[in-house]
Amino acid sequence: MKLETLVKLQGLCRDEAAFEQIKQILANEVQNWKQEINQAYFRVEQQKTLFRVITRLRETVDLETIFQDTAKEVRQLLQADRVGMFRFYPNSGWDDGEFVSEDVDPAFSSAMSQKIHDHCFGEQFAVHYQQGRIQSVADIYNSGLSDCHIRILSQFQIRANLVLPLLQGQNLWGLLCIHQCYAPREWQTTEIEFVSQIANHLGVALQHAELLADLRAEVMERVQAEQVVQSLNQGLQRAITELQAVNKELEAFSYSVSHDLRAPLRSIDGFSQALLEDCHDLLDVTGQDYLRRIRAATQRMGQLIDDLLNLSRVTRSEIHLESVDLSLLVSNICTELQQNQPERQVEFIIQTGLLVQGDIRLLHVLLVNLLSNAWKFTSKHSQAKIEFGMSNSNQVPIYFVRDDGAGFDMTYINKLFGPFQRLHGMNEFPGNGIGLATVQRIVHRHGGRVWAEAAVERGATFYFTLVAERADEQ
Amino acid sequence: MSNNNKIILLVEDNPDDEALAIRALKRNHISNEIVVAHDGVEALDYLFGTGIHTGRDITIKPTVILLDLKLPRIDGIEVLRRMREDDRTRLLPVVVLTTSSEEQDMLDSYNMGCNSYIRKPVDFIQFTEAVKQLGMYWLLMNEAPPI
Repeated sequence: MKLETLVKLQGLCRDEAAFEQIKQILANEVQNWKQEINQAYFRVEQQKTLFRVITRLRETVDLETIFQDTAKEVRQLLQADRVGMFRFYPNSGWDDGEFVSEDVDPAFSSAMSQKIHDHCFGEQFAVHYQQGRIQSVADIYNSGLSDCHIRILSQFQIRANLVLPLLQGQNLWGLLCIHQCYAPREWQTTEIEFVSQIANHLGVALQHAELLADLRAEVMERVQAEQVVQSLNQGLQRAITELQAVNKELEAFSYSVSHDLRAPLRSIDGFSQALLEDCHDLLDVTGQDYLRRIRAATQRMGQLIDDLLNLSRVTRSEIHLESVDLSLLVSNICTELQQNQPERQVEFIIQTGLLVQGDIRLLHVLLVNLLSNAWKFTSKHSQAKIEFGMSNSNQVPIYFVRDDGAGFDMTYINKLFGPFQRLHGMNEFPGNGIGLATVQRIVHRHGGRVWAEAAVERGATFYFTLVAERADEQ
Repeated sequence: MSNNNKIILLVEDNPDDEALAIRALKRNHISNEIVVAHDGVEALDYLFGTGIHTGRDITIKPTVILLDLKLPRIDGIEVLRRMREDDRTRLLPVVVLTTSSEEQDMLDSYNMGCNSYIRKPVDFIQFTEAVKQLGMYWLLMNEAPPI
């Protein structure tokens, strides 16, 4: 208080005793005010520290940094000897752990990197801390603590102890510990409130850290999975390239084989015919018959070469999927069949508008084969009927080609689609048995299946699908 | 030029195919002179009066050329190309007569300027019929270019 003010006061007082009393009262008031100012000052510093801690939380995710800086600030504000973050070993039942971060006065030892085992903690205290209990011990020797507890604490020269839980969500992750060493200390309510808030915010930081770790792990997993997929893809790509190369070679090979096989066939056929024509007089009926058989055989062989080449092309060619109008294809093929043999009387019943996803070239070959068969095997009847349509069964479309011609015996159904397998003699109906093998291969390449029903002299129906049916439908 | 002076140039390496083609022409009463070249080199020699045909009067040109594609030494496409590059032979009708069923060969032949593309059938009767129609068309119906 200023000297002037004092003199003024003295002048106003009755006597010296009154002046002394007033001085005392004033001194007490000033003392109170000083206390309040200190407390206010402390609160301001608290808020500043809290603000710094929160800001740091928002900026950094690195737990180590957060702990370290927070410990330093808290110790400075509270003027404590040591501030440390203690972490429980997971699955230790809260009996074991160590200090993972601290700020400590250089006069005292570090509490870090020492395994601390307290066999009582898990059983007796953990659950309380989980519910938010705070332990405030002004003097460890005077607070009714167990001997083993005191032993552990005195290891670190602790005399006064303030312990708060660090909660990661519901989980008691660890403890925030404020220590005063070698001298007792009464922890103030304001101080306890302050570190409580700090502990809460550290809890938030712990949660964030856990989330981030989880996220990082997931990303790592996905990156690794992607790498596996990529290397699989590369392997697949290599296999595809190899396969394409092999296919190309095969294509060239079969082409030149079939081409070179045809040349001598032409000679055989040509000169047999030349013999028949030029040496007619020298040949008897038997001789002429033999030559005719030779010609027939060479023509069959030519057809066989063509069919085999087609069959191998069907297997090897690339499928180009697009929307195909089956009805239109069937229509065109039937028109051509009729044009080639206008004398035949055949009724065509073709369901219109049947669109399907498939390879147009392969589907054309498939339909040519089925319809040519139908045409061929009805050739012995004066009138015939050939149908094409679709029936829906279990939501997968089933297409069919039906004729009312010679049919076949269902006993031999197993041979029907085998290459070169025939169910009729060459004299009854010509053919080399490749057609249905080709049909089957095309259907399989589209993922479907083909089957037939027939009876002798009562026609045949060939059914096929062009997409895979679900397993439970088969 | 009267019919009988028209020359057919047959470019074919296979002796059997050659014999059968000639027989087919003869049986259809085509009695024109048939010149046979056994590969692309001989064909070009004939057309340009070089090699084995040195000294030939090359103003005498064939009315139609029956050209196989698969030939040793110089193949059919190359013969066609050189024919179309030279003014003396650019307009001569060429009928490609081949076993190949490859779309690419057909494209190449037409791109190179052939006039017609026929696939040789295995069946000799069909072949004879094809030759007969060829002969009738190119030797009788078609007007040869005035060169």
